[in-house]
Amino acid sequence: MKRSTKLIALLAAITLILAACGSDESSDTTTTAAAAAGAMGDEITVYMQMGGNQGDPSTLARTNGAKAAAEALNVKLIEQYSGWDPQVMIEQFKEAAAADPDGIVIMGHPGEDAFASLVADAESRGIVITSGNNPLPNLQAQYQASGFGYAGADLHAGGYLTGQAMVAAGLQAGDKAVVYDIWHNESRSVSSQGIYDALTDAGLEVEKLDVSDEVDQEASLAIPILTAYLEDHPDIKAIGTQHGNITANLMKVLEAAGKEPGEVIVGGIDLSPATIEGIEAGYISVSFDQVLYLQGYLPIMQVAFTSRYLIPGLDVNTGVGTVTPANIAEIAPLIEEGIR
Amino acid sequence: MAKRPVLTRLAKLESLPIAAVLLTLYLVFMITAPNVFTGHRIYMSFLQTIPPMLVLALGLTFVITAGEIDLSFSAVVAFSGFVFSWWYRTVGEPWSALLLAILAGALVGYVNGVLVAKIGVPSIMATLAAQFFWAGLTVLLAGGASWNIKGIQDEALHGVFVGRLFGSVPAQSLWALALTVFCWFLLNRHRFGEEIMFVGDNPNVARVMGINVERTKIKLFTMNGAMAGFAAMLLTTEMNTFWTTQGEGYLLPVMAAVFIGGSSIAGGEGFIVGTFFGAYIIGSLEAGVVATGIGGYWTQLVSGLVMGASVVLNIVIGDGRLTAVSNRVRSWATPSRGDRG
Repeated sequence: MKRSTKLIALLAAITLILAACGSDESSDTTTTAAAAAGAMGDEITVYMQMGGNQGDPSTLARTNGAKAAAEALNVKLIEQYSGWDPQVMIEQFKEAAAADPDGIVIMGHPGEDAFASLVADAESRGIVITSGNNPLPNLQAQYQASGFGYAGADLHAGGYLTGQAMVAAGLQAGDKAVVYDIWHNESRSVSSQGIYDALTDAGLEVEKLDVSDEVDQEASLAIPILTAYLEDHPDIKAIGTQHGNITANLMKVLEAAGKEPGEVIVGGIDLSPATIEGIEAGYISVSFDQVLYLQGYLPIMQVAFTSRYLIPGLDVNTGVGTVTPANIAEIAPLIEEGIR
Repeated sequence: MAKRPVLTRLAKLESLPIAAVLLTLYLVFMITAPNVFTGHRIYMSFLQTIPPMLVLALGLTFVITAGEIDLSFSAVVAFSGFVFSWWYRTVGEPWSALLLAILAGALVGYVNGVLVAKIGVPSIMATLAAQFFWAGLTVLLAGGASWNIKGIQDEALHGVFVGRLFGSVPAQSLWALALTVFCWFLLNRHRFGEEIMFVGDNPNVARVMGINVERTKIKLFTMNGAMAGFAAMLLTTEMNTFWTTQGEGYLLPVMAAVFIGGSSIAGGEGFIVGTFFGAYIIGSLEAGVVATGIGGYWTQLVSGLVMGASVVLNIVIGDGRLTAVSNRVRSWATPSRGDRG
């Protein structure tokens, strides 16, 4: 017993040391925050819904952007991760509102009906609410004067842009394509609907394939599923998805299915290291860049400016570009840093 | 002495029923999706993606057999994957990275074992807390980043563990198979396996029989952690990428593989061969359903239906009810005396 207890204590100590090594930015942060405090006034507290899970490719740059804004604008940032679960987002909003912060940044996935009464209550208590990643247009219109803005891609337009880029990469009317995404959750397939619409508008025959919850969490499980689909549909010319982790695995999928780079036109989303490798190798033709860093930075800036200067809610579309084999080389280093 | 029917005797072979279920499943897929299931690619993709899940399920089978549970293995996949990738990126030496990944998993398992066996924390609570802790620590240490380690493709370790034999057979499938054989001998032909079964059946009786229950449990959890560390290396090396969230999606499929394989949730009974086939059933299901052309919102429903049917079939065959079922079918097929004109 004694030996075991000592060993656990030793492990705990090692863990704490490792954790301390991991947070080597603390001294710099303190200095910068102190300087910012002078410029921006008293510290404010903001709860922010980050979307997925801490550190996943579709969330990391958003977190980094939010942290950078918090540091620059003297904001105490409380991060909330939901694994993209709308129910969890609602619960997190309630928890945040109960803490009576200066501001809350929400994601629109639960929908306007689910958020309406909660936002009304928080607004009545003087909490600044703003949104990111997935829009809530009616609530935004209602509370824009008190700082309710939106920083994110127009999801459908972003998906449509991706679809158009896929067509430009070499698709023709009559070609067959599949769009693989979480179709059973409408709020998470808006962007993929954009790809679907762009491809069908270009005259392609497009099928929707649903992503299960297990694949949503562990994207490597998509490999046999898409391999089976491609074997069953050997005439498929394009695969579209707006799932960041699945995009990252598409190169492995195409290798497993025996496809050469460029043989199937692939359109995805976000820019994880594995996606970069896929683009560089020519397996991924285009990836929608919704500039997640700004989706983190701008909402924090919005709350800080509304709290201090009563700036109304701004609407910023962050999804206006795509990354392709032609421009990947200059963007790749920024992706490695978790900025793009 | 009455001669037992051949089918009943065959059903007594370990996990033959669940093997029959897998075979039936593949036969059904061959009929409904011949384009896919008569070619080699789909099987190669199964051999590529199922091994990490199988290795995790093998480790969990020992834990379940001992009447315990471990919910932390998915976090170990992330933590050991981090250790492996970090060491390889920093030092550039893959073999020591592999050793450290396995040691990191064993460390997590050892802590779990001590909490459960020495302090008396229920395993479901200890390992649930561990799941959160190690997953959180991984994110913290990695700074939330995912890393591409494509340089590993040029290392001998890559060829040894996830290379392609004869240009197409993923090496990880053979490692997982070898581990299955090793685990079978360990559980069924080694003193350690015997101790696990006794502990799972009744810890008090096991203690009376001279088994050190606490030590057995600690060894058990440590081994499970080490195996999860090995699975993490297989996954990370195969994908050439480390994600802080890797392994999260394995929790339910791995547990399903163990239980479909026939291991008892009450402990005292575990089937390594059953887990092997269970992992392949779970890992093949969704791809098979998609290949049959059942798309849209039907995939999950049909997958659940097939999974349920597999379990029922396994129980019907495995519990010796096959004879009763076949007799009943025969009695339906044969006209009764009164029916003969």
